[in-house]
Amino acid sequence: MADELELLRRANPVPVDGPHFGDGPLDHHAERQLNRLMGQRTSRRPRLAWGLAATAVVAAIVSALLFTGQTTAPALAAPRPLVVRADSTSVPLKTLAERAQAVDGVPGLRRGTHVQSWSLGMSDDKPPITLPEERVVRWNADGSHSELVVATDPRHPGRPVLSGDGELVDDGQVLSRQTYPPSWSDAPPQSPPPSEPARLRAYLREATYTRTELNTGELLDAVEVLLDHWTLGDRQSAALARVLADAEGLRPVGQVTDRLGRRGQAYVYDRSGTRTMLIMDPATGAVLGLETTFTRAESEYGVKAGDVMSYSAWMR
Amino acid sequence: MSNDEIFAAAYREHYWAVSRYVARRLDGRTDEVEEVVAEVFTVAWRRRADLPATPLPWLYGVARNCLANAVRGYGRRRRLVDRLGNDETARGRQIVDSPDAETPGAWVHEALARLSAKDQEVLRLTAWEELGVDDLAVALGCGTRAASMRLHRARRRLRAEIDRIRPTTASKERSHG
Repeated sequence: MADELELLRRANPVPVDGPHFGDGPLDHHAERQLNRLMGQRTSRRPRLAWGLAATAVVAAIVSALLFTGQTTAPALAAPRPLVVRADSTSVPLKTLAERAQAVDGVPGLRRGTHVQSWSLGMSDDKPPITLPEERVVRWNADGSHSELVVATDPRHPGRPVLSGDGELVDDGQVLSRQTYPPSWSDAPPQSPPPSEPARLRAYLREATYTRTELNTGELLDAVEVLLDHWTLGDRQSAALARVLADAEGLRPVGQVTDRLGRRGQAYVYDRSGTRTMLIMDPATGAVLGLETTFTRAESEYGVKAGDVMSYSAWMR
Repeated sequence: MSNDEIFAAAYREHYWAVSRYVARRLDGRTDEVEEVVAEVFTVAWRRRADLPATPLPWLYGVARNCLANAVRGYGRRRRLVDRLGNDETARGRQIVDSPDAETPGAWVHEALARLSAKDQEVLRLTAWEELGVDDLAVALGCGTRAASMRLHRARRRLRAEIDRIRPTTASKERSHG
């Protein structure tokens, strides 16, 4: 039998002489990007850059946690999943979408986001920990934007929270504050979301680089991408409610109070191993939050059934 | 040549090698390759003053970080969700015994996937990007001795995983004659 490196060599998924990415002259796209880079001379970014920059903050936090070498037991209790009020009635999504349609078109669409999130940092060899943070992204008239990330957990005001280095920091400590130069991107999710359902659906597909029609799981992921970039106006929220109402498998389950104390209607979507809960404003149909929980234990990742994998609550 | 010209030359020379590097690590999601490669060269452009005389291993290092950033926060959860969602497919794959039903080398990938991310990367850089130890050290951002040690250990662990899953693969090899 060949040695292990030779076996691995033969299993190269993208060989030099394969059908894709073979050496040769640059294609149109690569040439254009080089021209852009060479032409800018200042630190402008391509369209992906600021999306990546935003994830980089989270990535840096997670990587710091994963590689600090500590055997970190969760210093703070992980958040519990939202509980549906037993006495509440559920409103079908289609009804909510109709309500959203009737809402006056104020307030309007705003670029940037304000989101409180809890996300589970998972490692192969350490217990998972939950990072609570608040992120505010604001765009300026000149096309530049700034991003502020703060360690905070609104459920426990004033109490220390886990931060990027896996240690406790004071509530409200700034984890990062960055200003990004003007961006000229006009592709989703940087371009403004349309307020017509069919066009919004296509926009969400493009924003998540998906070529086929989004399934409900992918749609919910796309909603997260959208709301991490834009604060929707009532018209876009109505379009989004309509798109969601047309999705298969989102079940109304009743009323919840989200972690920011807001009342919402909850809709759940089950995937294999996880459940995503969509929380929407009962009056306007605006998406308030998304929560994903495990529905079975994943011992490899140290998670139990019922653990919250991620939770985002968007604000204006 | 100015830094800008050196950068442009490195871009033209290595664009496809960096694309292959990224494609090999995106598990067939070829539609994302272009975006990540764009990010790699944007970061490289900002750091063009640091571009070494042999830029490719250094570009691989940049690409590794970009990939990590691109997939880690969103991606790790995402991969888990994907894995959870693909349970049935995964189970199906394990019981399929026909070599025709699998992509060539699937079981080698399976053995590789059982190793830590660090082991996987040092092995891929050696086998797929064909880096020698000196270049490996640049790509990994460590010293030559450390790189050599990491490769040695990773090879041993890969061998062990291959041996562990060999019963199935050995029978396949026999059936091929």
